[in-house]
Amino acid sequence: MSWIVPARSGAGLALPGTDALRMDQGPRGPRFADIMAPVETTSATRGMPRGPVPSIPQHGPVTRPNLVAMGTIVWLSSELMFFAGLFAVYFTIRSVRAPLWHTETQKLSVGYAAVNTLMLVVSSVWCQLGVMKAERGQAARTGTLLQVGRWGMREWYVLTYLFGAFFVSGQVLEYSRLVQDNITMSGNVYGSVFFLATGFHALHVTGGLIAFLLIIGRTFTTRHYSHNQAMGAVVTSYYWHFVDVVWIALFATIYLLK
Amino acid sequence: MKVEYRLFLWLGVFFVVMSGIYGFWNGWTELAGPVALLLSSFLAFMVAFYIWYTGRHIGLRPEDDADGEIHQFEGDYGFFSPHSWQPLFVGFTAALCFAGLAIGWWLFIIGASLGVFALIGWTFEYWHGEHSL
Repeated sequence: MSWIVPARSGAGLALPGTDALRMDQGPRGPRFADIMAPVETTSATRGMPRGPVPSIPQHGPVTRPNLVAMGTIVWLSSELMFFAGLFAVYFTIRSVRAPLWHTETQKLSVGYAAVNTLMLVVSSVWCQLGVMKAERGQAARTGTLLQVGRWGMREWYVLTYLFGAFFVSGQVLEYSRLVQDNITMSGNVYGSVFFLATGFHALHVTGGLIAFLLIIGRTFTTRHYSHNQAMGAVVTSYYWHFVDVVWIALFATIYLLK
Repeated sequence: MKVEYRLFLWLGVFFVVMSGIYGFWNGWTELAGPVALLLSSFLAFMVAFYIWYTGRHIGLRPEDDADGEIHQFEGDYGFFSPHSWQPLFVGFTAALCFAGLAIGWWLFIIGASLGVFALIGWTFEYWHGEHSL
C-alpha cells in the first residue's frame, strides 16, 4: 500500500486533466481512479466560478455563540456607559446644589411615576413571553384573540408595544405638568438634569417602540417564521429589558432618592 | 466560556472595589467618580452574566478544548450584508434630523419623513424577495 501516499500527495498539485490522462495510461488505472475520485470532485468544484448562493446560510456551528446576540450585548454595554454619564451628571450637580433639589423635587408626583414605571416593567414581562414564543418558532396565534395561551410572538409584541406606548405618553403628560410648575430645560439646573436623564431614556423607549414595529413587520415577510426573524425578536427584547432596568434605576434615583 | 465570564466577573469586582476606594479617599464629596465606576462594574457584570448564560446553553466550544483544531471552528458565522446603500440613506436622513434641531423644525420634519423610508428600506433589505432571510 506504499504507493497510496505518493499518489495522494501528487493529486493535490496535479490538474484534473492530467489526472485523467495518467489514469488512462497507468497500469493501476481503476485503483488510481478510486482514490482520485473524491479529490477530483473537490478540485473541480473549487475551480468552478461561484454563482449567487441559492440560500443564505442561517447560523454557524451549534457551539458558537450567536454573533447578533453577542454584538447586541456589546452595544448595550456602550449604552450603559452613556447612561452612566447621565447618572454621574445627576449626582454631581445634586451634591453641589442640594437646596435647589430640596425645593424642586417636591413638585414631582411619585405616585404617578410609580404607575408609569409599573407599566414599563409589565411590558418587559409581555416581551419575554413573546420571546418564548419566538424561540419556539411561533410567530402568529393559533387560536382566537381571546385565547391568550395560544398567542404567538406577534400578539405579545403588540401588547408590549401598547404598554410601552402608554409609558411614553404618560411621560409626555408628566412633562407638560412639570412645565406648568416651572420646571423647564432652561429654567434651572435641576430642570436641565431632569429632562436630560428622563428625556434620553424616553427617546430610547421610543426607539424601542419603532424597533418593535419593524420586528413585527418582519414576521410577515416569509411564510414560515425563520431563524433570523426570531433572532431579531430576541435581541430587541434584550434592548427592551435593558431600557427597562435603566428606568428602574432612574426612577429610584430621581423619584425615590430625590 | 468559563475564561471569558470569569474575566468580566473579576473586572466587575475590581470596579466595585475601586469605586469604594475612590469615594473613600475624597470623603464622598465628589460623586461622579464613584457612580461612573459603579456603573462600569454593572457593565462588566452584565457581560459576565450574558457570557455565563450563553456558555451554559451552547456547551464547550472548539477553543475550550486544549487539543482543539482550528478547522473545527470553520463554518458559517452568520449573515453579513455583502453590499448596501441603505445605511447611507439612513445616515443622510439622520443628519437632516439633527441639522433640523439646530436650523428649524421644518427641516426635522422633512428628515423624519424621509427617515421612515430609509429605515424601512434598511431593515427590510434582506427580508423580502425569493431569498428572504
